[in-house]
Amino acid sequence: MSRLNLAAYVDLFRTEAREHLGEMERTLLALEAAPAPEHFDLLFRGLHTIKGMAAAMGYRDVERLAHALESRGDPLRAGREVLRPATLALLFEGVDLLRSGVETAGDGGTPTDPTPMVARLVADRAGTPTAAAPAAPGAPASAPPADAGDPVAGQAPADRVVQVQLTPECPLKGVRALLVLKRLEALGTIRGTEPPQARWLNDGFTGRFAVTVRAGAGDDALGDAVRAAGDVARVVVRPALAGDSGPAAGTRTVRLDARRLDTLLDLVSELVITRDRLLRQVEGAGDRALSRTAQELGRLVSAMQEEVLHTRLLPVSHVFDRFPRLVRDVAQGLKKEVQLVTAGRDLEVDRSLLDSLADPVVHLLRNAIDHGIESPDERRRAGKPPAGLLQLSAVRERAGIVVRVRDDGRGIDRDVVLRRAREQGLVPPGTVALDDEGLLRVVAHPGFSTAARVTTVSGRGVGVDVVSTSVRALGGAVALETEVGRGTTFILRFPVTLAITRALLVRAGGGTYAIPATQVLETLELDPAMRVVVRGRSGISLRDEVVPVVVLAEQFGLPPEPRDGEDGPPPVAVVEAGGRRLAVQLDAILEQRDIVVKPLETVRGAAPWFSGATLLGDGTPALIVDVASLS
Amino acid sequence: MSRKVLICDDAVFMRTMVADILRNAGYEVVGEAETGVQAVEQYKALQPDLVTMDIVMPDMGGIDAVREIRRHDPGARILMCSAMGQQALVVEAIQAGASDFVVKPFQPSRVLDAVERVLTAA
Repeated sequence: MSRLNLAAYVDLFRTEAREHLGEMERTLLALEAAPAPEHFDLLFRGLHTIKGMAAAMGYRDVERLAHALESRGDPLRAGREVLRPATLALLFEGVDLLRSGVETAGDGGTPTDPTPMVARLVADRAGTPTAAAPAAPGAPASAPPADAGDPVAGQAPADRVVQVQLTPECPLKGVRALLVLKRLEALGTIRGTEPPQARWLNDGFTGRFAVTVRAGAGDDALGDAVRAAGDVARVVVRPALAGDSGPAAGTRTVRLDARRLDTLLDLVSELVITRDRLLRQVEGAGDRALSRTAQELGRLVSAMQEEVLHTRLLPVSHVFDRFPRLVRDVAQGLKKEVQLVTAGRDLEVDRSLLDSLADPVVHLLRNAIDHGIESPDERRRAGKPPAGLLQLSAVRERAGIVVRVRDDGRGIDRDVVLRRAREQGLVPPGTVALDDEGLLRVVAHPGFSTAARVTTVSGRGVGVDVVSTSVRALGGAVALETEVGRGTTFILRFPVTLAITRALLVRAGGGTYAIPATQVLETLELDPAMRVVVRGRSGISLRDEVVPVVVLAEQFGLPPEPRDGEDGPPPVAVVEAGGRRLAVQLDAILEQRDIVVKPLETVRGAAPWFSGATLLGDGTPALIVDVASLS
Repeated sequence: MSRKVLICDDAVFMRTMVADILRNAGYEVVGEAETGVQAVEQYKALQPDLVTMDIVMPDMGGIDAVREIRRHDPGARILMCSAMGQQALVVEAIQAGASDFVVKPFQPSRVLDAVERVLTAA
């Protein structure tokens, strides 16, 4: 292979090796919890593949290291040796080194020298008492395991994967999928489905699924059977591949430049806006034939929008699966015992959101381990199990994705926070108590810190301001619940996709603005009887709570549109952001609809109240209000 | 010969609507039942080619009626008529032996497609 040719494969090598490394890391963690033979098989498959790829690329160092790790694991896999903690630690370290080898290979940078690690692996093996059964005589210590890379070679030839997409308008998609499955069941044996059948009845089920079936019938017969189940938009039948059996059946991937997806999304977003404009124009024209065609076009655009959004979806596990290792390392560094439980790994979210979600979550996990969860001794004294429980979950709720980071640690002491907040002048002098919202406002204040010492783990202070800022930048919101002695939960709310979001379109001061629907709690008419004035500030009394009022037009320095008696009281939108509520007084509420979010290039001197812009159906722009910036 | 259909729903409005959709498409509506018990009795008496079955009915619900009818005739073809939000019940009905489902509010084309599917299925 020539130099030039190789260069084209570097990215591919790295991407694929990373996937294997990720899996190997999860496998090592599983081994740490409970060794099982299949874990070693997984580990070997990854190592073997990386070794093969590295050899093809000419990355000798990576190849050597992968081989040495393989060799070290061989007696373990064969059950001739019991895994000792020291060996496991060495394997962790070896996989780390392999990762850095993979990252630097082909960069022309300083290569990772695997020699010391290879030597340690050999020494560790030599120094290990073998399990009862002795090694096969004559087997050289460094012999690579035969065919470890493909333990499941050779599938029965009649296995097929049937990929199905139900129509967007299909009601009860999960039940329809079940009917499809029944039709296939009549023709052969079901080997597996993706997603698993149990998830078909969940809210998030999109009507896209794959069934692996072993059947004597031909591809066409399988396809016909699926279509006969009704509401099937598309069906593709293809031979099953080695990786299809088991739970991952049906997920076939192509690699493509992520920027192409971004461009595609941009174009589709424009298409959506143009569609809305077209429909509006056609509506006025009174031509029924034209109107039908336009609506058909509209449906196609919607279907396409859904498809494109879908191509951008990735399961949360892409990010979540990194955390067990992180939590383990952080906990060990702090001499704490932490059990991480994740839920909702399969929830699919937009790729751009996923990328941006990792940082705040990492921050919160570190915080929870460092500040929340107590040392084993302290926990025992408090009557808790020595290992702290750290729960990370992702669920879809209403219009958004909600990520929760919950620990069962010591909680945040409101009195301490309040004292510090008073010292630092972060709360009005008369404040005697902090509720969850008030507490969040204080801890999210840049520079606020109660940490007596500066730890390497969480940096300075609690750093909630960083989390709050980055979540807000994504159009999301943060909330906090805490109880002393019981633990703390951080709740992050994100819009489903960053590109298209549901918004409330409103009028204020003669202009049209969009408020992200995720931040709107409710809308109501501002009945004069609700008005209150507290310490010179105007507010409304809402279910025994005083919510400050902000007049949006005034905020922007614009005169509100004049109201006459027939207009009735002005509408307000009660919004929540940055852990506090505001009643935003508007001139009018127009409608709720999906908008395509365009980033707003921050012009110097531009008002800070906007997080982006959008184009309305008639082509006029509207600014998206960042409610957290209102005051 | 046109196919015979038995319509089961406790609401006259729904029965009339389904009957009109089917009659306009050339089916013969041979009976209407307002309870699960009636549905089972009429099925035995009329031997229809197809049953449309509401899920929630007084005096034996649709799902139990499906079980009873299938016990009497394992080849019975039954189309469930469900409201949005009854997903779990529809699954139960299908496990009990119903062949397909339509969701209210009814669109004639969807109802007829489903009826066709049920009648042509092997």
